[in-house]
Amino acid sequence: MSSTTQTAPVKHKSISYAGWGYFFIAPFIIVYILCALIPLLSTFYNSLFEYYMDGLKQIGPNFVGLQNFITLFTPRADGRLEIFNYTANTMIMWIMGAIPQIVFALLLAVIFTSERMKIKGQGFFKTVIYMPNLIMASAFAMLFFQIFSSVGPINQIITANGAPAFLFFDNEWSAKSIIAFINFLMWFGNTTILLMAGIMGIDQSLFEAAAIDGANSSQVFFKITIPLLMPIIIYVVITALIGGLQMFDVPQIITSGRGGPNNTTKTLVMALNAYIGTSKNYGMAGAVSFVLFVITGILSFIVFRSTEPKKEKKGGKK
Amino acid sequence: MKKRIASAVLASAVILSVASCGNSGTTTTASNDTTTTTAAPAAAADTTTAAADAAADTTAADAAPAATAEGGGTTFNIYAWNEEFKGFFEKYMPGYDASAQTLDGVKVNWTITPSDGGAYQDKLDQALQNNASASADDKVDMFLAEADYILKYTDSDYTMDISEIGLKQVDTEYQYTVSAASDSNGKIKGVSFQCCPAALIYRRSIAKDVLGTDDPTEVQAQLDSWDKYEEAAAKAKDKGYYIQGSYAANYRVFSNNATSAWVSGGQLTIPAVVEQWTDQVKKFYDNGYILDTLPTIWEAGNTTQMFNDGKTMCFFGPAWYYNFSMGNAQDPDKGCYGDWGICQGPAPHFWGGTWILAATGTDNGDLVAKVMQAFTENEEVLTQLVEVEGQYTNNSAINDKYADDPTYGNDFLGGQNDFAVYKELAKNIKFENNTIYDQLCNEGYQDYIKQYLNGSVDKDTALQNFYGYINEKYPAVQTP
Repeated sequence: MSSTTQTAPVKHKSISYAGWGYFFIAPFIIVYILCALIPLLSTFYNSLFEYYMDGLKQIGPNFVGLQNFITLFTPRADGRLEIFNYTANTMIMWIMGAIPQIVFALLLAVIFTSERMKIKGQGFFKTVIYMPNLIMASAFAMLFFQIFSSVGPINQIITANGAPAFLFFDNEWSAKSIIAFINFLMWFGNTTILLMAGIMGIDQSLFEAAAIDGANSSQVFFKITIPLLMPIIIYVVITALIGGLQMFDVPQIITSGRGGPNNTTKTLVMALNAYIGTSKNYGMAGAVSFVLFVITGILSFIVFRSTEPKKEKKGGKK
Repeated sequence: MKKRIASAVLASAVILSVASCGNSGTTTTASNDTTTTTAAPAAAADTTTAAADAAADTTAADAAPAATAEGGGTTFNIYAWNEEFKGFFEKYMPGYDASAQTLDGVKVNWTITPSDGGAYQDKLDQALQNNASASADDKVDMFLAEADYILKYTDSDYTMDISEIGLKQVDTEYQYTVSAASDSNGKIKGVSFQCCPAALIYRRSIAKDVLGTDDPTEVQAQLDSWDKYEEAAAKAKDKGYYIQGSYAANYRVFSNNATSAWVSGGQLTIPAVVEQWTDQVKKFYDNGYILDTLPTIWEAGNTTQMFNDGKTMCFFGPAWYYNFSMGNAQDPDKGCYGDWGICQGPAPHFWGGTWILAATGTDNGDLVAKVMQAFTENEEVLTQLVEVEGQYTNNSAINDKYADDPTYGNDFLGGQNDFAVYKELAKNIKFENNTIYDQLCNEGYQDYIKQYLNGSVDKDTALQNFYGYINEKYPAVQTP
C-alpha cells in the first residue's frame, strides 16, 4: 500500500510483527476450532435433546432442556448415583495405576541419567520399558483376561492343590487392580522417557556443585532434581490425568463392556460408550461427555494450582 | 543408521495402527478388483434395463424365480455373526467357486461381527441405514438374523418381501420359522435354513452312574419335570457330578416357555419363568449342583466339561449345538464321541435358528433368492447338511425321511436317531412373546444376575444393575 506514496518514507517508531504472529498460529486456531471447539459445543447442544434409536426407528431430536442431566444425576431405586460411581471408579483405577507409574518412571529416569552409574546397554533397557506402549491396549487386555480367567494359568496354579478357583474379575479389588496394573505397565515407559528428557535438561553443573558440597544422593534428588523437574512432572501428571479420565479400552475389553462386578470397574467413557452404542443416544451421551469435560477441567485446574511455584507477595508478612 | 532403522520401525508401527483404526470393517475377504472377473454377464449390461426386463417378466415369476429377481450386482455382500453359515455356504452352495470366492461369477463378500453385547445388530443397523445411499458394491444384499432380534428387521422397511425376489413359501418349511420371519402384516421377509427344536443332551456314562440307565426313554422319564431334574441334580452331586456345567445352561428351557414378553407397552417386566429359573439356579449354586465358577455357556469353564474327563451330565441345545459348539466332545484325544444321548428334558423349547433375509436395495436379488432356495428346497444341499453336518434342516420332508428311517443313527449320540426325537419336539415350537429387545434382555439378565447367584450382591442390586444396562441400551424401554 505504502509503495504508491514513496516520496517520503514514513518512519515507524516501532515495527509490529503481531500480524505475522497471528498468521503463524492461524493453522492451530483453525484446527482447534474445527476439531475441538465445534465438537465440544455441539456435544453440549446435543445433550439438550432427546435423540436416540429405538430399534431401527429414530426418536427425536426433541428439545428437552436439561432433562438428560437430571436423569444422569437422579439416583436409582436403591439410592446409588451411578454417574458418581463411574467417576469414583475412574479416579480410583487411575490413581492405582498412576502413582506407581510416576514413582517407577522417576526412579528409572534418575538411574538412567545418573552420571555416576553410567548404566550400560541403556538403549536395550529403554526399548524394553517402552515396548508395552507399542502393544495395543486391547491385545493387552485380552492377554490378561486369559491369564486371570477362571480356567487360565493363574487359576490352574491355584486349583492344582485342590483350592477353589479365584474369580479375579468377579471381585471388585482384584478386577480394579488388574486394570490399573495394565495401565501402569503400558504407560510407565512413556513417562520414563519424558522424565529423562526433563532431567537431562537440568544443568549438570548443579549436580556437580552439589557433589562438591557433599550432598548425598537423596539430597541431590529432593533438593535439585525434583524442584527443577517440577514443570515436567506437572505436564506428566496432567496428561496422565486426562488420559486416565478417558480410561476405556482396557476395562471395556476385560469386562466385555459391562464394567463388572457390580459396575465397579465401569468408567465414565464406558458409560458414554454404552449410551452411544446400540441406542445411538446422543442426548445422554452428550450429557456424560459434558460432565467428563467439567471434571477434567476442574481436576486440571487443581493440579495446576497446587503445583504452581508460589510467588512471593509484595508487602506480605515475613 | 541404527536410529534410522528404529525410527522407520516406529513410523511403520504408527502407520499400521492408524491404518488398522481406519479399516475397522471386519470384512473377511480381501477386496479384490472385481472388474477382472469375466463372469457376471448382467454386470456389463445397464442395470436399469435389467430391472426393466425383470419387471416385464413378472408373468414368468413363478416358473423361474431367479430369472426375474433384480440382479446384476458385482459384489454379493453378506452380513453374519459367526462362521457357521459361511462354512455351509462355501461347501454346498451350487454355483459357488471356492477358489475365486464367487457365486455365479459375483464376488462374495462376508462381513462377520460377533453378536455379543448387540455388536452384530449395531453393525448391521448402520449398514442397512446406509444401504440406500451406498454404492452398488457396498450395499448389503443379504444378512442373517437370530430369533432373538429377527422381529426388528422383519417389521421394518429394511427387508424385502420374499415374493419381491421371486420366492414363495414352501410347505415343507416349519410353521414357526415362517411366522418368525413374517412382519405384522403377514408378509414373509425371509427363510430359515435350520429348524431348532432343542433337547436335553446327556452324557450316557454319567447318566448310567447317576440314573442307572442311559436309555433315552428312561432318562426322559426321570427328568421330565423340573422337580425331577432337581432330584437328579442332588443324586449327581452325591456321585461327584454336576447336573449342568453353566448356570445358564437351562435358561432357554425356561425363557422359551414365557407367557409374557420381556417388554410390553414400553415397560420391562421380568417373565415369571425367568424368575423361576433364577430361583432354581440360585439353589443349584448354593447346593453345589453346578460349577461354582459360574461360566456362561460359551466360556471355557463350561465347554471343557465336554471333554472325556468332564463331570457334567446335561447340556441343552438343538442339533446345531452339538455340531457347532460341542467341539470338545468330538475331540479325537480328549473327547467322548458317542457317549451322548438326547431326550426332551424337563420342558420343550427351541433355541436360536438362523434366518436369511434380503436387504432392501440389494442389487443381487436373484442370488439372494437362489441362496434361500438352495438352503430350504435343494435336496442335494439339504442331504449334505443332514448327513455331513448333522443339521436339522428347515425342510420337513427331508428331516422326516431320516426320522422315519430305522437304519439312521447319529454316531455322536451313540447311534440314536436324533431326527426322530426332533420330529416330535418340532411340533411344540411356538414363536410368541418375542420383542425386538430380547437379545440384550436375555444376555444382560444372565450376566447381571450372576453376581446375585454367587452372593457378591443382593438380588435387588443385581436387578438394578440390569435395569441400568437396559436403560443405556434401550432408552425407549421403561424399567421398574
